[in-house]
Amino acid sequence: MALLEVENLQVHFRTPVGVNRAVDGVSFHVEEGETLAIVGESGCGKSVTSMSMLRLIPEPPGKIAGQVRFAGRDLLKLSDKEMRAIRGNDISMIFQEPMTSLNPVLTVGRQIGETLRLHQGLDAAAAEAKAVEMLTLVGIPAPERRVKEYPHQLSGGMRQRVMIAIALACNPKLLIADEPTTALDVTIQAQILDLMRDLKHRVGAAIVLITHDLGVVAEVAERVMVMYAGRKVEEAPVRELFSNPRHPYTQGLLGAVPKLGSSLSGESTRLAEIPGQVPSLTKPIQGCVFAGRCAIATDVCRTWAPALEMKAPRHVAACHYALKEAVAA
Amino acid sequence: MLGYILRRILSTIPVMAMVGLFVFSLLFVAPGDPAALIAGDQASPADIERIRESLGLNRPFLVQFGEWAWRTLHADLGTSIFTSLPVTQMIGQRVEPTLSLMALTLVFAIVVSVPMGVVAAWKVGTWVDRSIMTFAVFGFSVPVFVIGYMLAYVFALRLDWFPVQGYTPITDGLGPWISNLVLPALSLGCVYIALIARITRASMLEVLAQDYVRTAKAKGLGQRSVLFLHALKNAAVPIVTVIGIGIALLIGGAVVTESVFAIPGLGRLTVDAILRRDYPVIQGVVLLFSFIYVLVNLLIDILYTFLDPRIRY
Ligand SMILES: Nc1ncnc2c1ncn2[C@@H]1O[C@H](COP(=O)(O)OP(=O)(O)OP(=O)(O)O)[C@@H](O)[C@H]1O
Ligand code: SF4
Ligand SMILES: [Mg+2]
Repeated sequence: MALLEVENLQVHFRTPVGVNRAVDGVSFHVEEGETLAIVGESGCGKSVTSMSMLRLIPEPPGKIAGQVRFAGRDLLKLSDKEMRAIRGNDISMIFQEPMTSLNPVLTVGRQIGETLRLHQGLDAAAAEAKAVEMLTLVGIPAPERRVKEYPHQLSGGMRQRVMIAIALACNPKLLIADEPTTALDVTIQAQILDLMRDLKHRVGAAIVLITHDLGVVAEVAERVMVMYAGRKVEEAPVRELFSNPRHPYTQGLLGAVPKLGSSLSGESTRLAEIPGQVPSLTKPIQGCVFAGRCAIATDVCRTWAPALEMKAPRHVAACHYALKEAVAA
Repeated sequence: MLGYILRRILSTIPVMAMVGLFVFSLLFVAPGDPAALIAGDQASPADIERIRESLGLNRPFLVQFGEWAWRTLHADLGTSIFTSLPVTQMIGQRVEPTLSLMALTLVFAIVVSVPMGVVAAWKVGTWVDRSIMTFAVFGFSVPVFVIGYMLAYVFALRLDWFPVQGYTPITDGLGPWISNLVLPALSLGCVYIALIARITRASMLEVLAQDYVRTAKAKGLGQRSVLFLHALKNAAVPIVTVIGIGIALLIGGAVVTESVFAIPGLGRLTVDAILRRDYPVIQGVVLLFSFIYVLVNLLIDILYTFLDPRIRY
């Protein structure tokens, strides 16, 4: 049994113009201690996928269906109270927006300590001591002073470090990091990633890492899941994906990326631009979701939706024309 | 912080000086000759002239204002034209019921309205939200005296739960004091509750959409901590501001409420003084109310710095 098993996850939003199928039948799993990267263009449902695992999607307008089994328990079936015991404790999350994710009117120490008091029953003094320890761990200088400060006194990079400290305070088994570096400038990005890589080894938590940055994927992740228009279109171990991308969408994303192992400079490892428009999520899509932008699309593609298929060992893709290794059959 | 508080306290001095100038001018902008007014209808021109002399009304305005201000600073508000008693004494006798009414209304209104607004924002769009907002519109549009008479009829005359009218000093016991004030405070509080609840809801709605609220949930915090600690503290500044501004509503409403419930407070004193054109009393009461208003808003300004660490002056 994997630590996290997501099965046929569907997240739909009721909107004035129709139902937005932000996530439409996505399945994946994460092993203990493993790092899974989720990549895909803006709006493909990465954040919604990650937030629905902690049931942080506002309902309504959202509606979550499917299964999210964590250590065998389906989180979607838990009571609110049971769910709260898991949030911030067994599973924590780092958000895309470091500048606005901390509460501006509470001290940093309080915001870190809060989780510890809640889940580990520490008293105020012990929680503050642990908060100082956590700030040291995430590499914030003068932690004794910083715990007493407010978020507006910290830079963006520091705030994201604080978010990481909050997320790791209770030694979670699973850390969901939703583009933890996107909003930061390049040098700070590299520092935060170094920190995350370092912590990954020290803390041993499984990580779901959402990112636009394929350089990061190459260095941090073991497996990669590629999402497009609310669906999973390809998944493979990281080396396999980089050397043998099977789905035309993945091939497009990788188009401008230098060879695997290139440095983490952050300049040229961004996803490539693919011409064309993402299909509207509020209308039913016939055939392959990528057909509108795919250079090799045929009438077959436009009529029948390709199923996710094993194309090589541990490598699945949803494309009628993706190459399939003989051994995988 | 301390420097700010000190500066803020000092800044109330010019405000109070302006208020003083305004209050003092009341006597001069009112139609008619102040001396004739004070002398009354039966006075002869000679009497009026004598009064003008004795009150110094023939001297330059600024000199008179200076003297008046000097006396006022020494807690001497003059004597009533009608009763010949010192104004401070007359106010002193009436101040307790009014302050009691206002304080009780304030506490009660905050305790009721803030949770109402928070819950309405949390349950936005549901029947809970709609009922609360309907009440708010109702509380806002029905005049104080209508609510007052309605409450008095139902809870005092019909059900006999509370006295119909009157006031019992707090020194006679907390129970009687409160039971006399419940209905007046309810009537006076309605508008105030409606106002604060609406602002709380609006402010909370904005805050609940913020990323840090999602972070708070992601930590596993319960609904109550998320709403009343993480969100409300961020939503507090507009709420506190409107509480301060609303003090003016309370002062105006207190005058009406006191006459509905026959409470012998400053409201009644004010009304009587206006009817009798007892200017020193009017001046004294207006000055006192202005002072309360300025003081409350000073406290609120200081409170801001505790609520929001980003506020620095
Ligand atoms: N609260 C909501 N109400 C309605 N639609 C929503 C809501 N939240 C997200 N969506 C929709 O869900 C879809 C997926 O959004 P999501 O934020 O998951 O994208 P993303 O892959 O994280 O993009 P990015 O890379 O820009 O962060 C979008 O079409 C978005 O409009
Ligand atoms: S199924 Fe057809 S349209 Fe879809 S990705 Fe494959 S080739 Fe392109
Ligand atoms: Mg996102």
